[in-house]
Amino acid sequence: MVIAADPLLLGPIGLEVFLIILIKVVASFVLLMVSVMLMVWFERKLISDMQNRIGPDVAGPWGILQTLADGIKLFFKEDLIPENADRPVFKLAPYLSLVPAFLVFAIVPIGGDFRTGDGTVGWFGHRTFLQVADPPMGILLFLALSSVAVYGVMLAGWSSGSKYPLLGSVRASAQMISYEAALGLAIATVFLTGGSLSTHEIVSSQSNWNWNVATTGVVPFLIFLVAGTAELNRPPFDLVEAEQELVGGFHTEYSSIRFALFFLAEFMNVITMSAIAVTLFLGGPDGPILVEQVAWIWPILWFSLKLLAFLFSFVWLRATLPRIRYDQLMDLGWKVLIPLALGWFLLIAALNVGRDRGWSPVPVVLVSVAVLWAGAAMLGGAVRKARAERRAIELGSDEVLDAGDGA
Amino acid sequence: MLGQYLPVVALLVLAALFAALSFVASRLLAPRRPHDRKLAPYECGIIPSRETPERFPVRFYLVAMIFIVFDIEIIFFYPWAVAHRGIGLFGLVAVLIFSVAVFESFVYLIGNGALEWGPIAEVRQAVSRRFGSEVVRPGVRQVGLEGRDAGNPTIEGGP
Repeated sequence: MVIAADPLLLGPIGLEVFLIILIKVVASFVLLMVSVMLMVWFERKLISDMQNRIGPDVAGPWGILQTLADGIKLFFKEDLIPENADRPVFKLAPYLSLVPAFLVFAIVPIGGDFRTGDGTVGWFGHRTFLQVADPPMGILLFLALSSVAVYGVMLAGWSSGSKYPLLGSVRASAQMISYEAALGLAIATVFLTGGSLSTHEIVSSQSNWNWNVATTGVVPFLIFLVAGTAELNRPPFDLVEAEQELVGGFHTEYSSIRFALFFLAEFMNVITMSAIAVTLFLGGPDGPILVEQVAWIWPILWFSLKLLAFLFSFVWLRATLPRIRYDQLMDLGWKVLIPLALGWFLLIAALNVGRDRGWSPVPVVLVSVAVLWAGAAMLGGAVRKARAERRAIELGSDEVLDAGDGA
Repeated sequence: MLGQYLPVVALLVLAALFAALSFVASRLLAPRRPHDRKLAPYECGIIPSRETPERFPVRFYLVAMIFIVFDIEIIFFYPWAVAHRGIGLFGLVAVLIFSVAVFESFVYLIGNGALEWGPIAEVRQAVSRRFGSEVVRPGVRQVGLEGRDAGNPTIEGGP
């Protein structure tokens, strides 16, 4: 098995290579900042269109500079640290939220010809990938960083020394870790077809329309979308900052630039999560090259279009769906998505191994479905048993209360 | 192979630098006029009468504990998923046994109500039957004057 690696970094790292790294890092930094700026504007504008309003239209043409104006305003706002706050942790939390949001984008390939070539481009006589870095454990890096981001949210709420942030952060942590399990299992199905943890390898295994959304059978893709939306705390899973009950959630006590950094991280996570979904399931930059003269631009264009489709649907979800209840959220994550993702993962694996050994797929599918059905029946029985027991206990205590009233 | 992580480190430095410089800029540009009311914990304008609770429902701890177990189990799947073509039937059987063990403990947890949340419908109805007549006019009347300044019901700056 070939372990993927960016050819740029395999040789000795001289000044020229270092400068290319610097260009890539700065370019991705600028790209992220600009796309966050545009994303915030896009969301506000689109939501207002969907709600029959005009939305921001003063700063710049079509209000496109509104985010910049808001950002500059926040620099001039008073930075308050509540007296009950745990100061070092309170100051650390925005970093823990922002830095992982930046880093995840490093593993996303945004271009490169994977159909006729190997996805490399030539820069100043060096071959390199159109992604900041391609570590062999790319997707593990993504999962690790999204776990670190949970610390940012958790510590921000805990260190504020206030009720609403604490409640919001406890909810957020439980929600994010619950859906991380489903997210991880949906991603594991991609490894069955991609055969690697490196994002570059996963993308090149999907070239020529061989997209994972089809080869893994759509279900992991849908699980990834639902779990990803919940992981981002986006509507309809935005219980973390449910304004009606929690004011602003974990960042209630944050003001000025500290709040701005949380806001930045939140929208950056939306963009990177969409980019990861494109990379894992929609072939990354894969797509037809329509005009040969500018062949290099098509992969980047296809990638951007796919990304935009995800960003649009995130906003669409927010405009359409009401927030779900916390028990519904937990039930969906633990009792539906995780077992479904596990079952689908094993089904695809059994089909793969069966195909390698020359088994006929029909009995494999029949046996697998029977096993999965048995598992689902067991799970359903367990859920019913737990509900019945709780109903018995709670109704019992209510009757005791009634009896006390009568006496 | 560690060289592959060099750009990630560079991006980390850049991101941390950006955050730090933003704080410096904010310190230079932002006004500093601290006030007791501003520094108090947010409580919708009411002076907090109780400390922030340090205990919250044990279910959250349960979720965290169950997650740790499950996350490790999911990570165990990754190396097998990458290499499952090479290991073949032996690997598949081993992973199936592993999955049965995971799933069995999962069903046990759910059967014992470890992941049960929220009120059930019947109980909600029973409660509203009992208290329905008493909860007539929710709002300010029930919040009362607890935590407000005596003799100065409007907060400073109010009408």
